[in-house]
Amino acid sequence: MTSPGELPAVDGLTLSPEHRAVLRPGEAIADENGKQHQLPRFFFEIPSWEEAHSLRVASHFTLSELITVDSREADLLLRTFPHYVPCAILALARYLEDFRREVDAPVFISANGGYRSPAHRINKGVSFHNWGTAADIYRVGDTYLDDEKSIGRYAEIAASLGAEVRVRSYREGDDHLQVDLGYLILVPRECSES
Amino acid sequence: MNEQEKTETLRQECERILGESKAVASAVAVHDYETGFHFSINADRRFHAASTIKVAILLAIARAIDDGRIRTGDTLHVRNRFLSAIDRTPFRIDAESDGYPQLHKLIGRSARISDLTEWMIVSSSNLATNLLLDYIGLEEAHRVLRDAGVSGIELRRGVDDTKAHEQNFNNETTAEGLVQLFAALRGDFLSKSSRDMTINILLQQRFNSMIPAPLPSHASVAHKTGEISTACHDAGIVYLPEREPYILVVLTEVAAEANGRRETIAKISEAVFKTLTGQEVKA
Repeated sequence: MTSPGELPAVDGLTLSPEHRAVLRPGEAIADENGKQHQLPRFFFEIPSWEEAHSLRVASHFTLSELITVDSREADLLLRTFPHYVPCAILALARYLEDFRREVDAPVFISANGGYRSPAHRINKGVSFHNWGTAADIYRVGDTYLDDEKSIGRYAEIAASLGAEVRVRSYREGDDHLQVDLGYLILVPRECSES
Repeated sequence: MNEQEKTETLRQECERILGESKAVASAVAVHDYETGFHFSINADRRFHAASTIKVAILLAIARAIDDGRIRTGDTLHVRNRFLSAIDRTPFRIDAESDGYPQLHKLIGRSARISDLTEWMIVSSSNLATNLLLDYIGLEEAHRVLRDAGVSGIELRRGVDDTKAHEQNFNNETTAEGLVQLFAALRGDFLSKSSRDMTINILLQQRFNSMIPAPLPSHASVAHKTGEISTACHDAGIVYLPEREPYILVVLTEVAAEANGRRETIAKISEAVFKTLTGQEVKA
């Protein structure tokens, strides 16, 4: 497999009960304000970690960079393949590539900093990471984003990419920049929502 | 030497050494597996645990491996942001004063739990310690200590939490608590593979100027030191090929500017070795 277009897309509702339990496809969940949002229903199926490593989802990003998680992810997604990632991950990769072009330096997405499932143990309520539309950036080139100045500088650049991009403003002690595209859901052409 | 003579000899020696030192408080505890001999001074007095608390986290990690909740190849996201036990405000570990500054280069990436465990003990990395404690959780670590029958160790927070320290909210230990902790590491509480793993990590300790310093070259010591401005400790298991091992714990409270604190613990280690084995220390 050499391009994202070759990734098979699947309807999460057709997955095994074990996978549905951790991915919760299409389920409605409430944010901290009580507003309901539907979790992604359609996923790309990743056959192996090797594929994730070799598959470029943008010129400078492999899929593996956006799905690296640590031991707090659900066992099923941590230790077994196939792995599933919401189709909107491609949109995130596109924006990250734009961001990389603007900063003209490698952009490092942290472990747990791309897609993580609703079952991931660091989730506290609703997280854009569950949609595959958020990225935690700890480092740009040689600069660690761990103070107000560095985070503010790159937040401004990320925000300039479009009104649909939101950056979290600096809070005391922050050690990364979080960028997200909101509750974006991508439905592949070959899939049906009915 | 019978038990009474050993006790009297050790008491006199420890009191002499500690009396000549600048320690403002101290405790010593010994348990000898060769004879069952047990000795202590101020065994239940509480001290700031400093880095000796990392051994409690080591036990909790090993137990989680035995319970199947952690696999040795599992990874953790490396970040340097922790919340104070006092008011949940964030704080960081200073890379320059951390025992394993190389770990700070992995921030944003991930590291294997087995490597973090080794760095926590061998190099006394505070960053590795807080990452592991955040992962395992205080409550779980308490449960493991309780299940292991270890009392006298109060694990209350991560390390380098300045705000908590200023409020005197510290990890604490007694000498007897550390004896129980090392006994749990050596005994049947852990599986053989986890026991071997923990002891091997402790044997690789980089800081060897206290308990191991006066011992003969064929001795090996699975131990953990703990030093902050006002405390200097060492605790561990001393292995000698000709006999069963013994556990030695020495805890001292010292004035911030005091010199010779490590030497004091080394002298007590020498006295304990001589008393238990009847041998002179050789270079």
